[in-house]
Amino acid sequence: MSGYAELHCLSPFSFLRGASTARELFARAKAQGYAALAITDECSFAGIVRAHEASRETGVPLIVGTEIRLPDGLHLVLLAESLAGYQALCGVITRGRRRADKGAYRLARADLANLSGVLALWVPQAQPSRADGAWVARNFPQCAWLAVELHRGSDDATRLHELLALADELGLPAVAAGDAHMHARSRRRLQDTLTAIRQRTTVAQAGAYLFPNGERHLRSRRALGAIYPHELLDETVRIAQRCRFSLTQLSYVYPHELVPNGQTPATWLRHLTEQGMRQRWPDGAPAAVVTQIDKELALIAELGYESYFLTVEDIVHFARSHGILCQGRGSAANSAVCFALGITEVDPARMAMLFERFISRERNEPPDIDVDFEHERREEVIQYIYAKYGRERAALTATVICYRMKSAVRDVAKALGLSTDQVDQLSRALAGWSRNESPDERLRERGFDPDSPITRRVLSLAHELLDMPRHLSQHVGGFVISEQPLSQLVPVENAAMPDRTIIQWDKDDLDTLGLLKVDCLALGMLTCLRKCLDLLKRHGRGDYTLATIPDEDPQTYAMLQCADTVGVFQIESRAQMSMLPRLKPACFYDLVIQIAIVRPGPIQGDMVHPYLRRRQGSEAYAPMAGPLRGVLDRTLGIPLFQEQVMQLAIHGADFTPGEADQLRRGMAAWKRRGGLEPFHERLLAGFEKNGYALDFAERVFEQIKGFASYGFPESHSASFALLAYASAWLKCHEPAAFAAALLNAQPLGFYAPSQIVQDLQRHGTKVHPIDVRFSDWDATLDAAQSQPILRLGLREIHGMGENAGRRIEQARALQPFRDVEDLCERAELDARERKLLADAGALQGLAGHRHRARWKVAGVERTLPLFEGNPTTESDIVLRPPTAADDVWSDYATTGQSLGPHPVSFVRSRLRAKRCKSASEASRAEHGSPIRYAGLVLMRQQPATASGVTFVTLEDETGTLNAIVWRDVARRYWRVFRESRLLAIDGVIERHDGVQHLIARSMRDYSPMLEQLDARSRDFR
Amino acid sequence: MQWAAILLPDLALDAVRRSGVDPHAPIALIAGPPQRRSVQSCTATAAQAGIRSGQSLAAARALLPKLITVDYDAQRTDALRDLLVAWAYGYSGEVAVLAPDALVLEVGGSLNLFGPWSAFERRLRADLADLGVTHRIALAPLPRAACVFAHVADGFAVTGAMQAALRRVPLVQSRLPEDGLALLASMGLRRLGEIIDLPRAGLTRRCGVTFVERLDRLLGHVPDPLPLYRPPDRFEAKIEFEAELRSLEGLQFPLKRLIGDLCLFLFARDGGVDAIELAFLHDDCAPTTIVLRSPAPERDAAQWFGIARLRLERLTLPAPVAGVGLVARELPPFVPLARGLFDAGAAAALDWPQLVARLQARLGDGAVKTYLPAADHRPEAAFTTDASVSSRILTGPRPLWLLPRPIPLRDRAPHILAGPERIESGWWNGREACRDYYVLETSVGQRAWAFRPAGAIDGPWLLHGWFA
Repeated sequence: MSGYAELHCLSPFSFLRGASTARELFARAKAQGYAALAITDECSFAGIVRAHEASRETGVPLIVGTEIRLPDGLHLVLLAESLAGYQALCGVITRGRRRADKGAYRLARADLANLSGVLALWVPQAQPSRADGAWVARNFPQCAWLAVELHRGSDDATRLHELLALADELGLPAVAAGDAHMHARSRRRLQDTLTAIRQRTTVAQAGAYLFPNGERHLRSRRALGAIYPHELLDETVRIAQRCRFSLTQLSYVYPHELVPNGQTPATWLRHLTEQGMRQRWPDGAPAAVVTQIDKELALIAELGYESYFLTVEDIVHFARSHGILCQGRGSAANSAVCFALGITEVDPARMAMLFERFISRERNEPPDIDVDFEHERREEVIQYIYAKYGRERAALTATVICYRMKSAVRDVAKALGLSTDQVDQLSRALAGWSRNESPDERLRERGFDPDSPITRRVLSLAHELLDMPRHLSQHVGGFVISEQPLSQLVPVENAAMPDRTIIQWDKDDLDTLGLLKVDCLALGMLTCLRKCLDLLKRHGRGDYTLATIPDEDPQTYAMLQCADTVGVFQIESRAQMSMLPRLKPACFYDLVIQIAIVRPGPIQGDMVHPYLRRRQGSEAYAPMAGPLRGVLDRTLGIPLFQEQVMQLAIHGADFTPGEADQLRRGMAAWKRRGGLEPFHERLLAGFEKNGYALDFAERVFEQIKGFASYGFPESHSASFALLAYASAWLKCHEPAAFAAALLNAQPLGFYAPSQIVQDLQRHGTKVHPIDVRFSDWDATLDAAQSQPILRLGLREIHGMGENAGRRIEQARALQPFRDVEDLCERAELDARERKLLADAGALQGLAGHRHRARWKVAGVERTLPLFEGNPTTESDIVLRPPTAADDVWSDYATTGQSLGPHPVSFVRSRLRAKRCKSASEASRAEHGSPIRYAGLVLMRQQPATASGVTFVTLEDETGTLNAIVWRDVARRYWRVFRESRLLAIDGVIERHDGVQHLIARSMRDYSPMLEQLDARSRDFR
Repeated sequence: MQWAAILLPDLALDAVRRSGVDPHAPIALIAGPPQRRSVQSCTATAAQAGIRSGQSLAAARALLPKLITVDYDAQRTDALRDLLVAWAYGYSGEVAVLAPDALVLEVGGSLNLFGPWSAFERRLRADLADLGVTHRIALAPLPRAACVFAHVADGFAVTGAMQAALRRVPLVQSRLPEDGLALLASMGLRRLGEIIDLPRAGLTRRCGVTFVERLDRLLGHVPDPLPLYRPPDRFEAKIEFEAELRSLEGLQFPLKRLIGDLCLFLFARDGGVDAIELAFLHDDCAPTTIVLRSPAPERDAAQWFGIARLRLERLTLPAPVAGVGLVARELPPFVPLARGLFDAGAAAALDWPQLVARLQARLGDGAVKTYLPAADHRPEAAFTTDASVSSRILTGPRPLWLLPRPIPLRDRAPHILAGPERIESGWWNGREACRDYYVLETSVGQRAWAFRPAGAIDGPWLLHGWFA
């Protein structure tokens, strides 16, 4: 049998064409004894790193190539013979992609001239063009072949004969190639389905686009031998042997320009670090910190990461100098160097740090620095990076968007010809479905027969499609910056957003190849904090920075202990609030724990209660002795952080820090892949050697396993705890300014503006309504009195544009508005904006009640130049004023909130007659007592994790109430449950650990009560 | 003048119900673009289950999985409205459609004939109930006012104090343009009287000229010209014989006349028809009717007569013919065939559509079809007679004669000329083909197209077609 190397093969990164993953392709190539496998995705290297990994795993050499189709019909497969060839191909792909819209490419013959180190396979069309062949032979001298691709067509023998004759005539050697779209014939159905999806049609109607058979797979060498003369097969191996390029030859260099002349990156980094240390510790850094920094700098130098740190420092420096708040998060906060450079804010003198969690020698993987910026100003940072390094050298990382179950079912069902509403139903029924669970029940619920052939076909194809890449998108903020043009390293293409370019590799690809990236992330809370600090400064209430906010303030902790945390970063959710009164945070480190512990993982892993018991003193905690002393003391013996697990391994079982980091990574992945057993034995042996009992070692290991799914670095928690504390302090001491900043930084956090404002009012701060005479676009403070008053901004009006809001501000600054006409004219308001203002009650001061405001506003005409200065005079008419309920409804409709009475208060007496409790009464009801409650439905939430249960949040004039509706109740009261605005629930109050729920038993729709409030008469007497 | 208004609040659904579905079934009419299909109206049973108009189809299905959905069909609704207008024309010479859901008729002149209004109204309601049409009726001196009253109070009749009654009408039910009403309602105005009292200039500035014009028409302040109904044009003619005809030969003369009259009428109207209905009347039994069709609108008498004669040749009549009638409805515009100035027209030559028409006339509608290519790799699925789904696909040579189904090839040692051509396709509808096709020369020199299962190297051949 002849040897064979497949030189023309697509992976799923030829989107909706390639139907098998690189892993499958390489496994098949190995099984068939291929000499090599080329991955030649269409004008793309997006799948090449995965192919590289699969090649490493199987030992089948990878040939890097790409398939190119020109608009004139020329069809080529280009293979990288050498590093120069790879760089040339990166350049070609980048040119083709940058010229076209996202997802497309456009190349011409001129782009393919003078590519050195590139081998070309010409794939002739059905009617081969001699001229094309001659061009290929000329353009790629000694490097061009005619690819003979036979797929059991109508007359392969004749085709082969013709192509060989043509090759002979053109002086091109002929070579066999497979145009493989899948690893095995069994993928034919999926491949047909992908084709139909790509062509936006159904498989039944896609005939012209479908391949006639399943021959485009990695065929066995025996089958190939029956089709091709052996010379053509031998030629594939010869070509494969010429291609010596491997991705391991890529060398990546971080930019050097940040280092001044006469300095090296190492000396400059040390200089900046020492400069930073003098600022951080004016009286000299503690000795431990100095040692830590020396150790870090040595490792950074050893691994050659200095320029990376300098780049991040430069970005952070830019942000600081432009007043943009920023703060590093994640594992970088384990680095004292990062703290000294101002990248992170967690003081190494204040907390134990584990640098190895950030950088380790053994990991052979670049560190990852994530920096949060104010979400409204991150774009400035991104544009700074583009401007500084140029688009050639800086680009965003890609994110591969893959098929999820819902989208897979949707696309497959469409391709199989189901009607639009069936497609909807089916994808909804199967969203979040996993193969472990029988889909039958879900299907029957939506009226599908699970046993029908079509349903079965959809399910099995959707499963094959699951996790297949669908398209490239941009990463939220991961930048790759390089000394050389990036396009010598990886192709660059356009993102969907204008002014954005992305490389064709994602985060995992970068990790595999050891490329460094810096994540510039957006964080709403930073925007809020900056706005709050600005407000305080403007109103003379203090000039703070995040660093100068007084720390360890008892009043702030007292507030937190009462779960009074609406708006506070990270600890404002329902679950967090319920835990605050029991954890009773009293110092900064308590916040670090609070943020890490109140998360789904630790709660499900039952970490919370042991910790609580020990903290409350009801369970004794004996600090550990021996080498593990101190590791778990700060969390009372419960391993909460990734760093602690690493330290357990280091101190307890003699792991090196790098090995401990591998253990951490193993933990994160074992549920999916397994592979913890080697660690298990080593841990046990190590603990034993250090004198710990076997059962203790087993317990630690079990904890590590249980811990796996929610690993949280302490450094990350600490970074977030800093922001949580800052926001809590501001909420405690400057509630009005803090609420205003929250409103002005929307959308962020857990609560809607309505809840933020209500919370503020409950704390005794006065709130003034939106009024064009006083309101800015943003919420503002009236700080004349000692107790500031919040003035709602025009931004609260749904549908109002910022431009219009700013025009009103500016026109009013010149001169107060005389009347509605004056306002509309000087602020250049169009009919829609005028109506919005009237509806929102913002014209109260100028025009009177809403009915009058609407009449006035509707009568404003665009003044023609001729009549300028002659306002139309109109006699006033009498209109009945709106009722209080009318006003409240209008408030809700236009701003989602109201300063007036709560709508439920209008029907309270009728609710009381029906024996309905209010939310505050419900909160005083005893555990287990049956009550009836009615409130406005704020949201219905069906978490993917909790099957069969819906959480409902209801609200009345006294507060909110959370109810749980189980599936059988939801089904029995299906319509009431889905349709009610004012929902009444009969149920039982349950309280666990301070969390209160109303468990629904039956429901009733009281919405008609609200409709009767609608004053618009419909009766004809 | 006295105007009766008949509102048809559920016309589209009535049209569906009349087509014979179970009126108690939960039915919803569905309309809208394919991505956002929503309920337009629904039956009472469906409404009880929570189905509402405006609901998305998915939401409706979720509420009631066994909901029967019917696509909204404007033509069906229009046809029912046309029928109702024609029916109303039987009661009054002045009938108009004021809105898609409202028709008005002047009844003042008909009261002598049909009794006092109460009796007249009962009669109208009885007719509408027989027709299966949901309705509301009111009487007023002005047509638009009558519509408004029918809307707010079914059965309301006013002759004298109409203005006072109008003033009491709730604003939202006054059938004035929606945007104006919404605006006025948002100013706290509730009844029509409050609008009437507003300063006219201020009202015009806010609600627009059209709105005020509609208000004035409603109140009778300005004339309200109505689009009065005219019965549709159609051609109908009949000839009755003095003596019964027993042979078809004798029918030729009267037929020629009728067709001639029709074509004259068509010429006068500058139109053509594509279908004619012929009725042969018998003394003792129901008439025999046949429909003649032309592929394109036609007004050439010779053409129509040719079509008629062909059809008559195949016709057997149950009884002697006492007369013949011709009806032509739906007169579409006539499109004359383009002809060269000097084209004398070959007398015997039929062009393609004419040939098709003749064949259809002789063999019956639907008996003449055209084979077209279909884009499918499976040979048995590679053709269609439905022009709307036809498209071409690039394949190798295919035999002209494809057998209806493959049969075993009885030949000891056929010679392989080409192949295998592998076809693996069609899995999506359970009729998957996985075959290797070969072009064979049989021992007697025929060229056959035969296959084996994909991948099979030997075994029996299955013959699927002949090249020659």
